[in-house]
Amino acid sequence: MADESRDDPVRLIHQIANRNREAFARFYDRFAPLAFTLAVRILRDRAAAEDLLQETFFQLWNQAANYSQERGSPEAWIITITRSRAIDKLRSIRRRDKSFISMEGPPGKQYDGKVEGSATASDARIIVNSALAQLAESQRKVLELAYFEGLTQSEIAAKLKEPLGTVKTRMRAALERLRGLLGAKAGGEAS
Amino acid sequence: MNHDEWLERADIYALGALEGEELARFEAHLASGCAQCKEYLLETHETLTSLPRSLAPIEPPSAMKAKLLRQIGAVAKAPVLDRRRVRWLWWGMGVGAVAAASLLLVLSWNLIATRNQLRDLQAQVATLQTQVSQREELIQFLSDPQVRLVNLAGLPPSPAARGQLLWNSLSRTGLLLVTGLPQVPADKAYELWGIAGAEPVPAGVFRVNERGQVLFRLPALPEAKIFDKFAVTLEPASGVPKPTGTMFLLGSL
Repeated sequence: MADESRDDPVRLIHQIANRNREAFARFYDRFAPLAFTLAVRILRDRAAAEDLLQETFFQLWNQAANYSQERGSPEAWIITITRSRAIDKLRSIRRRDKSFISMEGPPGKQYDGKVEGSATASDARIIVNSALAQLAESQRKVLELAYFEGLTQSEIAAKLKEPLGTVKTRMRAALERLRGLLGAKAGGEAS
Repeated sequence: MNHDEWLERADIYALGALEGEELARFEAHLASGCAQCKEYLLETHETLTSLPRSLAPIEPPSAMKAKLLRQIGAVAKAPVLDRRRVRWLWWGMGVGAVAAASLLLVLSWNLIATRNQLRDLQAQVATLQTQVSQREELIQFLSDPQVRLVNLAGLPPSPAARGQLLWNSLSRTGLLLVTGLPQVPADKAYELWGIAGAEPVPAGVFRVNERGQVLFRLPALPEAKIFDKFAVTLEPASGVPKPTGTMFLLGSL
């Protein structure tokens, strides 16, 4: 029990706010693989994802004092920071390239974000993939395009050649279904 | 607007897909302090946090953790002060100022002594750097298979003197190490000669240090000459085109 309390993410963040490097190391061990996986998926570039991971955890070290449980779980916090940074970077690359080729192109072989079951996946992965598998393909698609590709609702509508209203409805329906299947905390503490 | 419509936007907002005027209006609504939307958004973020777990996990590079710990280690050295600590700090600074004034005199004295020591150490470092660079030059020279060693023996004016010439016949350059030569007056210097048959060719002027030693780098010598001997004579400080003085060292290739 003592060890569980020692590795409690909220406790770790408070310790990090007090400049505890050991707590930072433990927090990193626990959440860096998930944050890195997400960064690689969004950016499709391992080197860029490494830079992003470093920036994200450095931000965590500097801003841990700003964290409060009212802002969500530590996992949601670090994942939200990672995703926001990754999407910002992705959008700036797209603006620079003045092209949507990167989003139109086929997903990377190794980092394919499509949901699927796997015999080797962790319990959490199986749970989340099972939930996603219960969504309609069209719902899953809008979720992926928004969450992993960083597309706005009108960009998704343009890409899928669907009316904006339809895209909005699908996004809402997808999230509502997921909330029902996973609950707010599902997958969060499983590892 | 019906509040359910705000919640509909909250979903799209949580996905980061809201844009333009809709985004601005929703953010204004949030800023107005809508607790229901805030709570709803928190729950939605928690649900979305599950999505990365659907991916095949990729481990970050093993060096990343150490890199970050080094990075935050550098930052951690700057302490964060709270108010209570700051108040005590002022007291401490008052007492410390008196002590510091007393210490200042002692430290000033020590500083002068330290500066002298530093100057001595800098001189030692300079000497060592010279020695190291000379050794590096030697090693580099010796690693060339074209290099031949010519031993130069001391002649009657200074029989204990010795010279080793590392001669590269291809690049026409060489390094001469000399020990045991007497120091000479300011208007004199030693001159090295490459001897091709009976013709001596000037190969540079040098002086020795107080221990009679020198490591001398030869200038590039004429390619047409095939040297079979090398010699050192004592000559005027500016050097001469043909030897005029006493020979101190002589060796054959």
